[in-house]
Amino acid sequence: MNKEKITMATVVGIVCILLVSVMFAQFRTVEETDIEGIEVAREEELRTMIASWKAKYEETSQKVQETNKKINEYQEKAESVEETANLLNEELAQTNMLVGKTDVTGEGIIVHLSDNENKQIEEKDLLYLINELRLAGAEAISINDKRIVNMTEIVSVNETILINTERVTAPYTVKAIGNQKYLSSALSLKNSGYIDIYTSLGKTISMSVEKNIKILAYNSGNNLMKFKYVKEAK
Amino acid sequence: MNKNRIAITLGIVCLVLTIAISVQIKTMKGTSSTVSKRFSEDNLRDEVLKWKEKYETETLNLDNAEKRLATVREESTKNDTTASAKEEQITLNNNLLGITDVEGKGIEIIVKDNSSITSETIGVLDDISNYIVHDNDLRNIVNELKNAGAEAISINGQRIVSTTAITCIGNVIKINDEKVTSPFVIKAIGFPERFETLSRSGGILDNLDDYLEISTRKLDNVKIPKYTGVIASKYMK
Repeated sequence: MNKEKITMATVVGIVCILLVSVMFAQFRTVEETDIEGIEVAREEELRTMIASWKAKYEETSQKVQETNKKINEYQEKAESVEETANLLNEELAQTNMLVGKTDVTGEGIIVHLSDNENKQIEEKDLLYLINELRLAGAEAISINDKRIVNMTEIVSVNETILINTERVTAPYTVKAIGNQKYLSSALSLKNSGYIDIYTSLGKTISMSVEKNIKILAYNSGNNLMKFKYVKEAK
Repeated sequence: MNKNRIAITLGIVCLVLTIAISVQIKTMKGTSSTVSKRFSEDNLRDEVLKWKEKYETETLNLDNAEKRLATVREESTKNDTTASAKEEQITLNNNLLGITDVEGKGIEIIVKDNSSITSETIGVLDDISNYIVHDNDLRNIVNELKNAGAEAISINGQRIVSTTAITCIGNVIKINDEKVTSPFVIKAIGFPERFETLSRSGGILDNLDDYLEISTRKLDNVKIPKYTGVIASKYMK
């Protein structure tokens, strides 16, 4: 009788311990399933970050190679005034192009925006478009042949839009040179793309993809192409 | 009788053990997949750091190469009388592009999320998103600064260049594809008095000041760092 009781107690005890450990195991499993969702997102984010840093590294690395090549060329041709002058001219032409002082051509897209009976195109619509084009890698942009350079502002004064302090009026033709695919697909993303957003607001916008676009040089006086207050830091 | 009871008890214990073991196995499977996930995530994290570091080293290399180019250029064109004017132009262009560190008098604007408004203190009809800084607030301030004659601008050390986009993905603001967070320190070089138009009554900063924390100060010397990326010309000729 006594012996039997002890056996029972032992068995019950063992069962209890087992149950408790099973429950613990259960808890852990539940916890793990919960955090899985966040982990997947994290992994994706990490992958985008890698891609982004890698692209930047490759771009910079290429620029380093180009610069080193230029250094070598200067050194090789140091004897000849004519040849180094050519190198210098080339470099000047390259920076002039990047700044926007020259006419440029290349593939890209043209966006047409016009007023309709209900909705007008406002300066902030153009500002947002420029930002979207830059995000999609546009290398040169113009609005009604006004070149958008680094310090170009787009403002509205008494319902008139001014770009580089010059008046522009509807319809607006926005040209952008860059990778056609990136530019056009960025603007035409369903729902969240520029075209869908502004079309759903009732604005008139269309886009065409072009093989050969010409964008004119900055030609609005000299004030955005010189410095009065900026000095190169030592 | 006694034998029977022992058999039943053993049976129960066996059953419980089996269940426990199978649960255990399931858990183990789950754990090992999580471990491998953590492991691969750590690897990814390492790789992010690795590429970031490589990029930063390469930026320094570019810096050195460009300095060297300037010296070599000057050295090898010293017999050319037209060269120095062209070299000056190249330097000006590089300054205009934003790929050099610059300084000069100007303004510093600090824009912060409003810390006095929380989900508890906010009015029922109000929206908390009004009290945080958005990407278009920054775009508008940059545009106003340009309109007031700014010659160079940076936000949290990110130089504004001709290819700069200011965007928001989820709730992360990115400038030049790099994360920036509140407080936003906006620096601009230019004629300080002209920048006052931003703070005038009804001006952009006055309007934002109703929601955000804004402070401005004129400075005799504002330092603005260069853009560390590359301004490319792959598609334009």
